[in-house]
Amino acid sequence: MKLLSKIKYPLLKLIDISGFKVLDPPVRLMYGEEPEKQVRDILRYMLLPIVFVLACVVVWNVAGPKHKTKSGEVPTPSKVWTAAQDSTRFKNRENEKQAAFLVEGEVREQELARVKAELLKLEESAANLKAQSAEVTLKGQSEMDAKILPVKTRLDELKATLKLAKAARKEELVALADKVSQGSASGESLIALVEQDAAEYEKEKARLKSINDELDAIRDNPPAAVKKAQLDSNKIADEVQHYKKRIDYLTTGNRSMKVESAKEKELTAAAALKTSATGADALKQAKAVVSNRKKATSTLEQEYPRAATIYWQTWRSVATVFVGFVLAAAVAIPLGIMCGLNRIVMACLTPIISIFRPVSPVVWLLIFQIVIGAFFPDPDEHPLFRFMNHDNNPLAFLKTNPAMIFSACTVAMCALWPALVNTALGVSAIDKDHLNVAKVLRLGFWSRLFKIIIPSSLPLMFAGLRISLGVGWMVLIAAEALSSSDGLGKFVWDEYQNGSSQSFANIILACFVVGIIGFALDRFMIVLQRMVSFDDGSSTA
Amino acid sequence: MSNTLNSRFVEISHLVKEYPNPYGDDFRVIEDFNLTIKEGEFISLIGHSGCGKSTVLTMLAGLNEISDGGIILGNKEIDGPGPDRSVVFQAPCLMPWMNAYNNVMLGVKNVYPHVSKATRKEIVEHSLSVVGLADAMKKYPSELSGGMQQRVGIARAIALQPKVLLLDEPFGRLDSLTRMELQDVIIDILEREKLTAMIVTHDVDEAVFMADRCVMMSNGPKAGVGEILEIDFPRPRNRVEIFDDPKFFEYREHLLAFLEQRSHIKDASRIFTGGKTMGYVEKDEVEAAVAKMTKELLS
Repeated sequence: MKLLSKIKYPLLKLIDISGFKVLDPPVRLMYGEEPEKQVRDILRYMLLPIVFVLACVVVWNVAGPKHKTKSGEVPTPSKVWTAAQDSTRFKNRENEKQAAFLVEGEVREQELARVKAELLKLEESAANLKAQSAEVTLKGQSEMDAKILPVKTRLDELKATLKLAKAARKEELVALADKVSQGSASGESLIALVEQDAAEYEKEKARLKSINDELDAIRDNPPAAVKKAQLDSNKIADEVQHYKKRIDYLTTGNRSMKVESAKEKELTAAAALKTSATGADALKQAKAVVSNRKKATSTLEQEYPRAATIYWQTWRSVATVFVGFVLAAAVAIPLGIMCGLNRIVMACLTPIISIFRPVSPVVWLLIFQIVIGAFFPDPDEHPLFRFMNHDNNPLAFLKTNPAMIFSACTVAMCALWPALVNTALGVSAIDKDHLNVAKVLRLGFWSRLFKIIIPSSLPLMFAGLRISLGVGWMVLIAAEALSSSDGLGKFVWDEYQNGSSQSFANIILACFVVGIIGFALDRFMIVLQRMVSFDDGSSTA
Repeated sequence: MSNTLNSRFVEISHLVKEYPNPYGDDFRVIEDFNLTIKEGEFISLIGHSGCGKSTVLTMLAGLNEISDGGIILGNKEIDGPGPDRSVVFQAPCLMPWMNAYNNVMLGVKNVYPHVSKATRKEIVEHSLSVVGLADAMKKYPSELSGGMQQRVGIARAIALQPKVLLLDEPFGRLDSLTRMELQDVIIDILEREKLTAMIVTHDVDEAVFMADRCVMMSNGPKAGVGEILEIDFPRPRNRVEIFDDPKFFEYREHLLAFLEQRSHIKDASRIFTGGKTMGYVEKDEVEAAVAKMTKELLS
């Protein structure tokens, strides 16, 4: 209890610094401070916004499916949630497969036994489910047949009558045509009859079509139970498939097993070489020894070919934006300080800033692909990538490649300007009084810079960096989509291109991931900015 | 330090301050300002706002360029700011990102680069305790009241151990109680350190109570020394005794009469500029108007 009251104000201060002012009333309410006011504030600033957001979700849920597109309906929130769960399952499966690929020795055997046992159970339940689903499907089918039957009879009846009508019309036409050829009827009347016949035919077609549509509608909408049964059995079939794949990775696909089999083949080939009868045979066996030896060593270094998950794409995007942001800050802050200190530098840089600031990230990306691409003629051998992707490097999982560097540079180029301009502003807007003090105290250039100018411009500098990070994150997604650098941008692009049933939901999922991470980055910068800001007590004396 | 005090310690002679005026003759704020200050003397500079009091002080501090004439301090002509003169500004001008101790240390480090760390620490702590802030050294400006901030400003100035202390309306933004406290602090320090000092002030009581001589400035433009009043009170001075002394009222009346007389001209300028007060029109606009009015009145 004592501790609780002790942390009250630090807690409130933390809430204030982190910018989550919404949490202030509940915390105060917890401490019993002015309960009425807090409850009112909670209602106004917490509950109402939550209700509003929920209302938006409801609108989305209702309006989404009404809009039919080429890629299907606009997915509802529940579909997006399913997509998120699927993404997580996909990631977990990749982890399991990777583990299966890498595991060795006794552990592998234990693991194999365990997975096999699980698979047995799974197959059992899959069989059960299949039987159930067959039953349900059968029942659903009969239900549907019952619905279809009357329509179908109607259709058949109509078809029969129409067939008769058509034959009658044809006869009539032939008769009139004969008369025309004999000169007992006018050509005009025949033309009129042909036209009439065509019109009748169109009408008949339309009637048939409407009944066929009715049938299709019934067939396309099987009973909900059937749909569910199908989904469930698909799901479990999917799971069974995954277990089989895992067993594969635990046996023939396993790294250590592959190495062993290569070694075994090498030995048999070596043995065969000793007993080879002909020269050609000997040569063949010797070649086999060499190739298997090579295979054994190369397999030893082999990594699991992990598929790109949205988790990994997210990490890669965050890493790329971080690199770009650091590059931007490293250039913008010194330049900004120089601009702020010296009007000549400012005058020199102004045209460059003015012209390059509005340039689109797409243009920068292309330029960087050409210009910086020239530094990496052979990316696999370049020291930077060899260092970044070395097995011992903890960042190797990012799989740094030239595309990532191009994206990072594009981010840096676009994120540069706000930081640069704000830093220059912060430095040049320094209080004249502070500069006078510096003069009276006879501060040298460096101590004036580090003791007075930089500290006093830090708040504006960080405000600029915050904008830069926001711009960088937005630019990055576009750059990744364009440069095919793995990341959230590429994820969205790939989903758009592949157009599976879940693509649209995945795109919307990515939209939320991008938004939430952007929000988190912005919060992080706000906290930093508040930490370097000072209460300027001097001017309010 | 020699025992005999230099009677011509600071010599301000024919001082001129001009600001360039792109549309006519350069604008002269100060013209032919002459003053000699004895070592250890306390001068107060009083005059109407905008007459150029602070200009004289900042020129003495070396913050403002001297257009013509010169200032000699201890046989050396002033050329830019120096450690022999320190300034207390109207606003405390503390660095808000440093605590009181570091604010004072900032100057000490630069003026005494070769002194040991311990000595520097001693200097800073001493000057902060002299102004009564021994217990607030680790506090940041935002945690200090206006008066306490100004105390840090004073500590920062005296920590440089200057020959001349320049006070530019140092109490202008403080309430009268705090002002009195700080006046006593300054008087104590000057007494103890035997410093030469100049204070720019609006406050007639302050000018009489603190100084050895009151320099009344004529109104600008082309302001100079109007009159000098010797204040003949013994030191150390006691506030209550002095405020009871009939001589205090004589001095006070004298100063007020001088200022009153000058303010007529100012009133005229106010009428002339359409009733606007000084705060709303450009300073040089008003001063030009005053000059024009004076000329018209005289002719």
